[in-house]
Order: sequence, then structure tokens, then C-alpha cells
Amino acid sequence: MSNLGFALAGAWKVLAAGLVLGAGLPVVFALGIRALAFGAGGDAEVNGSRPHRIGTIMAYGLFVIVVLGVLLGLTFIVASGFGKAISFEHLYPTVIDK
Amino acid sequence: MSAALRAGNSCRVTETTVILALVVITALGFDFTNGFHDTANAMATSIATKALRPRTAVALSGALNLAGAFLSVEVALTVTNAVVRIKNANGTPKASLTADGGEALLLIVLAVLVGGVVWNLLTWLLGLPSSSSHALFGGLIGATVAGLGWSGVNWNGDGSKLDGVIGKVILPAVLSPVIAAIVATAGTWLIYRVVRGVAQRFTDTGFRWGQIGSASLVSLAHGTNDAQKTMGVITLALIAAGDWHSTSSIPWWVKVACALSISLGTYLGGWRIIRTLGKGLVEIAPPQGMAAESSSAAVILASSHLGFALSTTHVATGSILGSGLGKPGALVRWRVAGRMATAWVITLPSAALVGAATWYLAHLVGGLAGAAVIVALLVAIAALMYGRSRRTPVDRTNVNDDWHETQREGV
Repeated sequence: MSNLGFALAGAWKVLAAGLVLGAGLPVVFALGIRALAFGAGGDAEVNGSRPHRIGTIMAYGLFVIVVLGVLLGLTFIVASGFGKAISFEHLYPTVIDK
Repeated sequence: MSAALRAGNSCRVTETTVILALVVITALGFDFTNGFHDTANAMATSIATKALRPRTAVALSGALNLAGAFLSVEVALTVTNAVVRIKNANGTPKASLTADGGEALLLIVLAVLVGGVVWNLLTWLLGLPSSSSHALFGGLIGATVAGLGWSGVNWNGDGSKLDGVIGKVILPAVLSPVIAAIVATAGTWLIYRVVRGVAQRFTDTGFRWGQIGSASLVSLAHGTNDAQKTMGVITLALIAAGDWHSTSSIPWWVKVACALSISLGTYLGGWRIIRTLGKGLVEIAPPQGMAAESSSAAVILASSHLGFALSTTHVATGSILGSGLGKPGALVRWRVAGRMATAWVITLPSAALVGAATWYLAHLVGGLAGAAVIVALLVAIAALMYGRSRRTPVDRTNVNDDWHETQREGV
């Protein structure tokens, strides 16, 4: 395989991971903001309505997902700094030797 | 260490030691320019949307770069192996280059660094976010061709893996901004769909926090990646001069000096580049800023996970462009984007030319005098460019001023 082939083979993986983490997580965050506004009601929304408690609860649930995603990123930075890698073979991430 | 002892034996060694000192100082200078050139990658959007005050943004980025530089214990000695043939597979320099006490290799490394610093300063003066890695690789290619001939450069690899100048430098440079732009476009477009109906004041506050978080990740990742390159270059020079022998560790003072140098540079902030990326390319709102920085963080981390080398600068610029494409009706200044693309294309050959010319000059004068001449030349050029930059200063007070495409930015 030529260099171009190797580069394209790597590129689509980066694109896939980028879309899931780099676009997916911000969208989850946006859903959290949306839910938070629904929870707050009033002038947080364009068509202000009364506050909904369920919205606030959902918002914090969504923010927890985002924080977990960020922690995954941090773990990756720290782990690769110490010569480790993150494996996804058990579906949930585990730190392994490179 | 033993350098002082050996100095008594022959004046050749003393000369090498002085050249080595020049290499170390110039390398730290390169690390410093690397820092302030790349502050914008992480912080331009946060500064533009006022998520962070300019001074807070550069301080945060500087601190995270410092932490990142210390986090990386892996040795980046092999960083140049894919591009030039000056080292053996284990990272030690080839014996033929160290036969004369390491002077031949030290001169090449010094020319590389001079080429990299000159190009970084010039693009900073013009407010263009060009890649510091490309400046370094360009200088490396130029000085190697000058010093060892065309065969000293690994152009295309041997076809067994992604390798050589084309595989490790050029292809990632073409692909990574496109990937980052796609991710940021998708993210921005979806975010604006999701928050439709939420008051703008409410979304802006929320996304500013998201922006700070994602920008911090980019800064930390930058510290782990970029400080290592200079650590590797300095350690290579120490090995060439016979002052260090391990290829699996680096001297602690090299790590401390590089970490401080890159974070100090980051803290100083390349305001001209921050302005171009934060205000010039796209008018950025907080949701776009968060989409752009998340895209950058994810693409940088995913590619280093997969061993796909790329430049933080290219990714960050692609992401910011994408955040403009994804927001319906957003303003994207294609003329600015075109100028950046031009700078990217010419970075590698230009730094190569500077590196080659510098090597010839040093070689012509010869030895310690040659090394001193090119360092003096570098200092003169740097002073000239700094003086030029003072004519149209950009700092934290005017970094967010409205962008007028007709006005002449930079020089």
C-alpha cells in the first residue's frame, strides 16, 4: 500500500472518532443547555414558559455524560504521557501498556 | 559533566561545547516561539467570545502547557527519524556524523533551529497561524539536503507504513484541516439546531463554560506533544557532543528548561495570530467556539491515539473555519483563509531554504565562528522583526477590535 493509502486509512478513523467525540459531545452539551432552559423556564426560552423540574434533572444527567467524555480525554493525555495507552476492548476504557 | 574535564585535552572539545551551548539556547528560543505561535490554537476562540479575559486565557494556557510538558515522559528522540536519515534506528546519531566530536551534526541541528525560528517569527509578524512543526521539519529537510545531500532525506518511505516527508508531513497537513473542518461543521450545525428556542443570553453563558473546558484540553494536549519535539532535539545534540548517552531518558534540566520555555512563550501570547484566528477568519459566537475547540481536542487526541502525526495549528484552523461553515448565515472571510492556506503551503519549502542557506553560511565560515555567525544573524533578524512589529502593535488591549479586511494587518 502506498503512503496515500495508509493516510486515508488513518484519516477515516480520525474522522469517525472526531465526529463521535468532537461533534457528539458538544451536541450532548447543547441538549443539556436546552434541557436546562426548559427547566428554568421564563426568559431562558424565547417563548417563555413555566419552569419544569424534569428539565433541570435531565440537564445535569447530560452534563455528567459530557464530563465523563472530558475525563476520558484527560486520561488519554496523561496515560500516553507515561507511555500507556487506552484500550477499548472491554467496551469501557482501560489503561494498558503500549 | 565531563565536558570541562575533556576541555583540557583538546581545544576541539571546547569548541564543540560552545557550539552545543549555542544549539541548546537556540532550541529553547525555538520552543519559546512555538509556544507563542500556538497560544491561538487553544485560546483564540475563548478570547474572541469573551469567555475568558485575554490575560486569564494566556495564563491558563501557559499553565496547562507547563503541566502537559511535564506529563510526557516518553522520549521523542525518534521524532525526526521518519524524515531525515541522520540517526540509527535506536535514536543515536550516525557514527559518520559524530566522528569529529559531533560538530557536523551540531551545525546541521543549529541551522535547522535557525530556519525554524526565522520562519516562526516572520509568520507571527504577518499574523499567520503557520505550523511550528512544519517550520522545524522544513529546516531539518533543508539543512540535511545541504549537509548530506538529497539522499539524506527520507522522502517517501519504503511503502511498508506511513513514512517519509510525504507520509508523515505532507499528507497529514492536507487531510487534518479537512477532517477538523468537517467535525466542527457538523458539531456547529447540530448545536444550533438543538438550542433553537433557547434565549441567546442563556446559551452564551452555558457555551462559554463548555468553551473553557474544551480549550483547556487543547492546551494540555499541545504541551504534551510540542514540548517533546524540542526536548528530543536538545537531547540529540547532547548525544552528538558526547555529553549524554541514554536514548531512553532525557536529562531533567532539558525537560525543565523546555517546559518553562514553551509555557512562557504561550503566556506571552502571539496576539497577532490570536487576532487573525479569533476575529479575522470567522465571527465567532460561544456555541461555535465550543464546537471548534471540541473538534480540535477530539481530532488531536484521536490522531495521536492512532499514531497519525499532525499539526495542532492545521487542526485548530480547520475547526474554526468549520464552525463558520456550520452556522447558517455566519461570515467566513475566505480571503483570510486563502492567505493562511498559502502560508501553510510555503512553510515547509521556505523553512527548508532558510535552513539550507544557514547551513551553507555556517559551513563556509566553519566551526565555532560559523555557528556564532548564524546565531548572531538570527538575533539580528529577530530584533528587526520585533522592531517592525512595534509599528502596528497587537496586544491584549486591541486583540478583539473589529476586523476590517481593507486595513493592512501585520506589515
